[in-house]
Amino acid sequence: MQHDNGLTVSLQSPTSGPRLLVVAGDLDHHTTPRLRAVLEEVEFGPGADLVVDLSGLTFCDSTGIATLVAAHQRAADAGAALLLAGLDSDIARVFQIMGLDQLLSLYDSPEEAVRALSE
Amino acid sequence: MSLASPAEASRLAAVRRYAALETTSGAAFDRVAALAARIFRAPFATVTIVGDDTVRVIAAHGLPPRRGLVESLCAAAVRHGGPYVVEDAWLHPEAAGDPAVHGEPGIRFHAAALITTPDGEALGSVNVMDVRPREAGDEELACLRDLAGLVMDELEVRLATQRTVEVERELRAGAERLARTLQRTLLPPALPRVPGLRAAAAYHPVSADEVGGDFYDLFPLDGDRWGFFLGDVCGKGADAAALTSLVRYTLRAAAVYDADPHAVLANLDAVLQQEHAGGEAPVPYCTAVFGVLQPDGDGFGVTLATGGHPPALAVRANGAVEPIHPAGGQLIGILRNPRFAQVSARLNAGDALLLYTDGLTEARTPSGSMLDEDGLTAYLAAAGPTSADDLLTTVHDLITALGAGVSDDTAVLALSVPPATRTPSSGSLGAA
Repeated sequence: MQHDNGLTVSLQSPTSGPRLLVVAGDLDHHTTPRLRAVLEEVEFGPGADLVVDLSGLTFCDSTGIATLVAAHQRAADAGAALLLAGLDSDIARVFQIMGLDQLLSLYDSPEEAVRALSE
Repeated sequence: MSLASPAEASRLAAVRRYAALETTSGAAFDRVAALAARIFRAPFATVTIVGDDTVRVIAAHGLPPRRGLVESLCAAAVRHGGPYVVEDAWLHPEAAGDPAVHGEPGIRFHAAALITTPDGEALGSVNVMDVRPREAGDEELACLRDLAGLVMDELEVRLATQRTVEVERELRAGAERLARTLQRTLLPPALPRVPGLRAAAAYHPVSADEVGGDFYDLFPLDGDRWGFFLGDVCGKGADAAALTSLVRYTLRAAAVYDADPHAVLANLDAVLQQEHAGGEAPVPYCTAVFGVLQPDGDGFGVTLATGGHPPALAVRANGAVEPIHPAGGQLIGILRNPRFAQVSARLNAGDALLLYTDGLTEARTPSGSMLDEDGLTAYLAAAGPTSADDLLTTVHDLITALGAGVSDDTAVLALSVPPATRTPSSGSLGAA
């Protein structure tokens, strides 16, 4: 199957609240390095959290998953939270089969993730 | 002219080297012929290659001259070995008997510049013809030589391109052969015969060229126990093949050391974590199901552990389909303190067990949705009670029906316990 939706990654840093990384399109072998590059620039620390909005994600292969897991571990090491929001039900199902739902915090929407952080 | 002189043989070898290249596209050579005619203000021009006993016209401008003329004048030019001018063919012995000279179109003037290879072999010529006798100016002849040089340059570029393409094709074919050979070594050529059990396996690649990372095996453990596994390494290509090899041998070695399925997966995880310690991101990892079969009465006890892998499905003797799946098993080789879950079940007479990789469950149905475990379960339930071999056929039919909806390789391992043999009618006690 061709995954040619491309990938867009944009990091938003609001004056208050967690940073929001919006990822849309296909996350595959070819596009994942772009996400990895952006994630590697994000500095994590206590309270310096990140919400990743994946509601526009149309495909996610094993390299995409590895990148998200690596970022999550880096955030956890720094005492920060990395929350995933808006996963498509098929991709959420794949995450569940891989047992990643036990590790990553998955939320229906970015708003819900932001709310969870403020509680 | 088959008894060519050594010099002519060497020239013909050069002609053959470029032979396929003249025909690929005539547009460039047509422009050369048109330009030659314009420079000489002559009605006809050709680009010709002189072969063994044929002269090939690879481009022509104006009326294509009659063959006889082409042969006599162009071949004469090549034999002459340099720029060749016939100011009036009527006065020229080479053209004396040529119908194109004495009949239509009545060629009187001919000028040719040789197309010469870098190693000095004359392949043919760029020719200009006129119906009136005339002289050729130095400037015109110089232009004609330049045009012949252009034809040679074009042939050289085409030859270089063709060689590059050929070399690339050879390299690619070699790499693909190696990858396919490597992949075959990762899958057992045949499954062993296990007393009281039927086993069958299949590999459904999406592409014949690309190596996937799916793997499976069935092998003896201590006593009468048997180990089996099936899994999927992330990624494709040579890296995935190398990782698949590591995973396969680690699983077999770990099972000899301690066949407890949970321990086997934990061992594999430790090996993979070490493998990429400090390595480049993203790290390689895999999903797998590992199981141990223990003969028990007329069936087998099965202990299964999974790490991030889709559920194994049991097709019971009554046709019911149920997952044998411990909840909570996680990816192998990438997570800190991963959980691997384990469950025990029984395979009784008439039961079958299907292990598969996610190429199957992540396939798209015609409606666009993912087949998923539910879709696979429904398909197997519709097929009813089964055996290992029939289960493979059922999955093969399903993959065929899904067609382009399947976007990843699928490996399938099926195990079944033959149905209890019933003694016909009499009701007497059969031999156990």
